[in-house]
Amino acid sequence: MKGFGAIYRRELAGLFLAPLAWVLFFLVLLYQAYFFLLVLDTKGGEVNGSLAFVLGGGTPFWLLTLFLPPLLTMRMISEESRSGLLEFLLTAPVADAAVVSGKALAAATFLALVWASAFLFGALTALLGAPPDWGLVFAAWLGASLVSALFSALGLVSSALFSTPLLAAFMAILVNIALFALPFLARSWRGTGGAVLARALEYTDVLGHYQGSFLSGALDSAHCAFFLAWTAAALFLAVRVVESRRWLG
Amino acid sequence: MITVQHLTRRFGPRLAVDDVSFHLERGEVVGFLGPNGAGKTTTMRVLTGFLPPSAGTVEVGGHDVLRDSLAVRERIGYLPESVPLYREHRVQEMLVFQGRLRGLARAEAKRRAGLVLERVGLSERARSLIGRLSKGQRQRVGLAVALLPDPEVLVLDEPTSGLDPLQRIEVRRLIQELARERTVLLSSHILPEIEAVCPRVIILQRGRLAADGTQTELLARLGGGNFVRLELAAGPDGATPDAAALALVRARIAALPDVTSVEARGGEGDFAAFEVRGQGALAEGLGRLAQREGWAVRELSTQRPTLEGLFARIALELEPARPDPAQPEGSLEGAA
Repeated sequence: MKGFGAIYRRELAGLFLAPLAWVLFFLVLLYQAYFFLLVLDTKGGEVNGSLAFVLGGGTPFWLLTLFLPPLLTMRMISEESRSGLLEFLLTAPVADAAVVSGKALAAATFLALVWASAFLFGALTALLGAPPDWGLVFAAWLGASLVSALFSALGLVSSALFSTPLLAAFMAILVNIALFALPFLARSWRGTGGAVLARALEYTDVLGHYQGSFLSGALDSAHCAFFLAWTAAALFLAVRVVESRRWLG
Repeated sequence: MITVQHLTRRFGPRLAVDDVSFHLERGEVVGFLGPNGAGKTTTMRVLTGFLPPSAGTVEVGGHDVLRDSLAVRERIGYLPESVPLYREHRVQEMLVFQGRLRGLARAEAKRRAGLVLERVGLSERARSLIGRLSKGQRQRVGLAVALLPDPEVLVLDEPTSGLDPLQRIEVRRLIQELARERTVLLSSHILPEIEAVCPRVIILQRGRLAADGTQTELLARLGGGNFVRLELAAGPDGATPDAAALALVRARIAALPDVTSVEARGGEGDFAAFEVRGQGALAEGLGRLAQREGWAVRELSTQRPTLEGLFARIALELEPARPDPAQPEGSLEGAA
């Protein structure tokens, strides 16, 4: 796709040129290190479990994953629409899909770099004589990155829909929480249709798909496809929203 | 190069552009005039593929903006009114990004960036952060961005808005230079600018085409051509001339062969002013007449109607722009 690479690189550079990204990066590193050490301590030095905890096994990770992508993507379309930069991008000879997916991949790459801090923790424990199961760490990191890509794509949909970054972030966080929590709610629903609803929502069960494969160190293409398919669907939606903005003006 | 046919663009119930048609030949430089909200920006956004038309067709270089949008966008260098630039990037980075977006190799994009920066006179600011530049410099960076792909068509929306007079002259000179090799569509509400740069003018009013033609055509048609202002002593010294004296002078003037109308325009003391319209060498004829009659002439001048006057008349809707089927070239179309 022509222009995709240029946009991806520009967006990634743009993230790192803004102070927000560095602040987030630093805070998340501290946060992850804190929970890694805490769990390592309580688990009596069990390195693999502790690394899995900070890459999707525990609540702290999911809190970050629900909130961080919307903060990264909130400005990508809504603010550029105000500043006129979207007009610049959308009058360049590149497809809308290249613009949207370049931005989404930039946000996902940033988050993948954040999650790569687990490799650092692993390397440290290895230095101290307790090497982690690298396959497990890699699988968990890949999973975390795929989840981040999905939530980044959803964040872009929100950024395209709403005219202010703050509103876009707020709505994206709500959507993320709903997507994350609905399967739980459906499973605990005791009324009629509960079972059907729970079955249906299995197709959107982010946590189930994540913990069912990546966290056990098994790279299952079906689970990768689950995340890629939903990411693609969200990107498609974002492209449609951008396109409809042209028609509405 | 650009063909617009019956272009209509709605925003909900509001008609921003209403049945506008015009054609630009390759190499033409056309000024887009109109009060704020007349539809200039919307028309440009349709041309550049940012907004789809609600009805009508727009072709650039033979490519339809809807069906062949990418081909159209490849041919156009566009400077939007907001001069969109990434403020956190350096000038050079912004230009290289534009080149990469257009599929240029990095080295080639860098080479082009150097060329266009020289063109807009900003070579020494290549490493500056865009956010640190002055408004005038940013405007020139915007122009450099539009120029980078060496487009056949330049669409410039208010390229001199917000600049000080000196910067405006600079940008105007630059546009004049660029216009030698390209098709340029330029919008502005600063009339002297259009007068200086664009031989042909398209005037929009409330989304409709109010006038389209060369400046001289438009002025002749809408402004009624040139007239001569004559101010002379028509009465006895120091006294206001009476009606009979004025009528006598008027009759003498009106008797000249080329004169079609004479209007009294008031006076001051024993002087009376007249506006004389007609064909040919009016001022010379009037001068000879004054000599023969022994009139004390205080002023004898040929007044040219200005684009500004014409524009004000259209904007204030004093000038009902009428369709003129007999004169397709430079005709007036629209609100009738």
